[in-house]
Amino acid sequence: MELTDNVLEIRDLVKDFPSVRAVNRVSFDIKRNTVHCLVGENGAGKSTLIKILTGATTRSGGSILLNGEAYTPHSTRDAKQHGISTLFQELNVVDQLTVEENLTLGMEDTTLGFLRKTDKINTMVNVMKSLEPSITPRQLVSTLSVAKKQIVEIAKAVATESDIIIMDEPTAAISESEIKRLFAIIKSLREKNVTVIYISHRLDEIFELGDYVTVMRDGKHIDTKPVSEIKDRSELVKMMIGKTVFEQYTPKEGECKDAILQVCNLSNHKLRDISFEVHEGEIIGFYGLVGAGKTELARAIYGVDPYEGEILFRGKKLPPFPDKVIAAGIALVPEERRSQGLFTILTIRGNVPVMNMRKISRNGFINAGQERKVTLDYIDKLRISTSSMEKEASKLSGGNQQKVVLAKCLFADADLLMLDEPTRGIDVGAKSEIYGIIRQLSKEGKSIMIFSSELPEVVNICDTIYLLYDGRMKATLRNGCDIDSEKILHIVTGGNVTSAADYRGSGDGGE
Amino acid sequence: MIGGRMSNESFITLFMIGVLVVLFGVSCVIVPRFYLPRNMINLLTNNWYIIMLGIGVTFLLITGNFDMSVGGVIAMTGVLSVWFCQDATASQNALAVGLGLPYGVAIALALLCAMGIGAINAFFIARLKVPSIIITLGTMMIARGVAQIVAQGAQRNTSLPDVFGVLGGLTIPGMSVKLSVLVMAVLIVAAFVFEKKTVAGRRTYLIGANSVAARLSGVNVRRHLTSLFIISSLLAGITGILLSSEFKAGGASRAMGYEFDALVISLLGGVSIAGGFGSVLGMFVGAVILSVVTSAATGLLLSPDWQFTIKGVVTFIAILAQRFALDKRKG
Repeated sequence: MELTDNVLEIRDLVKDFPSVRAVNRVSFDIKRNTVHCLVGENGAGKSTLIKILTGATTRSGGSILLNGEAYTPHSTRDAKQHGISTLFQELNVVDQLTVEENLTLGMEDTTLGFLRKTDKINTMVNVMKSLEPSITPRQLVSTLSVAKKQIVEIAKAVATESDIIIMDEPTAAISESEIKRLFAIIKSLREKNVTVIYISHRLDEIFELGDYVTVMRDGKHIDTKPVSEIKDRSELVKMMIGKTVFEQYTPKEGECKDAILQVCNLSNHKLRDISFEVHEGEIIGFYGLVGAGKTELARAIYGVDPYEGEILFRGKKLPPFPDKVIAAGIALVPEERRSQGLFTILTIRGNVPVMNMRKISRNGFINAGQERKVTLDYIDKLRISTSSMEKEASKLSGGNQQKVVLAKCLFADADLLMLDEPTRGIDVGAKSEIYGIIRQLSKEGKSIMIFSSELPEVVNICDTIYLLYDGRMKATLRNGCDIDSEKILHIVTGGNVTSAADYRGSGDGGE
Repeated sequence: MIGGRMSNESFITLFMIGVLVVLFGVSCVIVPRFYLPRNMINLLTNNWYIIMLGIGVTFLLITGNFDMSVGGVIAMTGVLSVWFCQDATASQNALAVGLGLPYGVAIALALLCAMGIGAINAFFIARLKVPSIIITLGTMMIARGVAQIVAQGAQRNTSLPDVFGVLGGLTIPGMSVKLSVLVMAVLIVAAFVFEKKTVAGRRTYLIGANSVAARLSGVNVRRHLTSLFIISSLLAGITGILLSSEFKAGGASRAMGYEFDALVISLLGGVSIAGGFGSVLGMFVGAVILSVVTSAATGLLLSPDWQFTIKGVVTFIAILAQRFALDKRKG
């Protein structure tokens, strides 16, 4: 077989979802035996593109040529047989088996159903040894670090003669020294005739590792360039965000009121020394990319995750139990709507009042009339579109489900509302309705904290924005005056906070 | 906007009532004297002890947890209540010697031991998050083991105070209904009110529907599960007291397999083992269905050896029909 220069040629690739075009006529080539980086903001279409390549989803249009031949994977297994392996963030290793067993998993040689030792095992073990000599084949995978588990997966991909290995943020959960080791291995893969497609939010890695980089934005392909032709990270950042148009933010009138929440030197497994204050009626945004520690911050305040440091609410220490935190006057709209916020098998009426049952009951007995009235009120107020309040929550659209979760938290009568990714996966109309509700609440004197990985969202509604990176607070911004999306993206991708005059860096500033 | 359809729970309960009516009708036709009022009352009441267990088991299933320890708790409580109030004076027969406590103290202590089993269940399941099926199978054997040791593998039935047999033998004046049945009826009504009307009842469903969301919505999941496990054991304990009083004996092998019967009637009544779904009323209907089937089989002079097979087949068919009906409705 004659090999072309390009291992993959993507042409006019399109993927449509019911309400959105996630990949919009994307075309680019990936050269053989290179490290090809893929960057873009959250929602740029990277993940969807990868899912199409690995057969996890099907494309709506366009074509893909793999080694010059048409390529339409039907499943991840099919993709693997075509030589495309993927290192997902959730690793595909079985903890309870040994390294050796993991390497041959799914491809065991057998006689009459009994396992047989063959050369295949030796070949694979040798490949693994050449990548990382410190791993022994008889070791249980559960005893390995995340980084070494990744190496086992890479070894498996190399040994099964994958031409392409896709790595989705492999450095998100591993330590600094392990990252160095991983990079050395990735570089060595080129000699083994492997092409690596590398996805990361950490832009510095791209300059260290990449041969080519493809930038995506809003589902579109922006550019593909050799990394050597890119001057610096700010050029890359510019390509990623383009001209982001923000809706008009109107600064709040009047001066700051009393602090309602004070967080001092908060640290835990993910967070490092975070301090800030929330004032009455203020809308605060926490912006950072995936893994920056936003959700962990919300969970710590809410009493779900343990922490060190001090959290004061109205001057009193918050007890670390969600039921007590709610009773004190804080409510959380969790990140994962379906698994953490909603009771999908219950009706809307079963969902709305749950955070404040006291209000619809007397001496522990529920007042059914009041319960119905409250539910109807919120269906009306938040314009939840449903045929009946007895409809199962699972049957509502994403936007309406989110409104039910929001209704639940509003009914809790909280003075401080924490919203973790409040508009993830919902359509534009519902989004702007939710922004309207948030603004209204702030006018009524409620304080709001928004945890978001969408920059337009925080810039659109927040009075103050905190930038998070790797569990640390990197900078504080007052909205209305010093919003520069380029600089913000620079910071949340790990860049140094350069000018203190621009952004009052909090915490330790740079690295 | 207001009206809406009936809930899936009501639908399943009605569906199972329909099944019950059909089964009863068929039995009346083919089994002689099945339609007599006396038999009907029997059908509703002769399973009282399983229904009592079913209350705790149903609520725990709704939270997504099993309680397999209830049968063992009956045996343990029964044997202990006998032992505690047996005469303390020495006798030739070791099984005739007890602690000589007053009867009231004896049952109070026995019930406390029953709740102790519930507390063990709760500690491991609610606090340490061990799957309930494992823990309650363990406590099932521990409770039964205590009964075996104290009754030396047999039963204790001698040198008991006269008052011991009163509770189980009492009938309501004017009716031929036992006190035990009345207790069951009262508990069913209380459970029904708890389920439909109270905040705590609602929280039971929240935990089963999504325990993570329940916690984030301010439900103290650990405390709630602990209460439910202790209540379930307490109900089993009360059942054990009543049964031992009725038989004037505490036997090591009493209530063998009752935990499965309690599970079967809950499932027949439409309770989902995935949690978040089911009702006490449904469980009661399930119990009566089981009662109709076994009683019809006896009436047809089938040998008792057939009982298990018939129960199994009916459970199978009823639950399949239920799932089918629910899917149809959703589809």
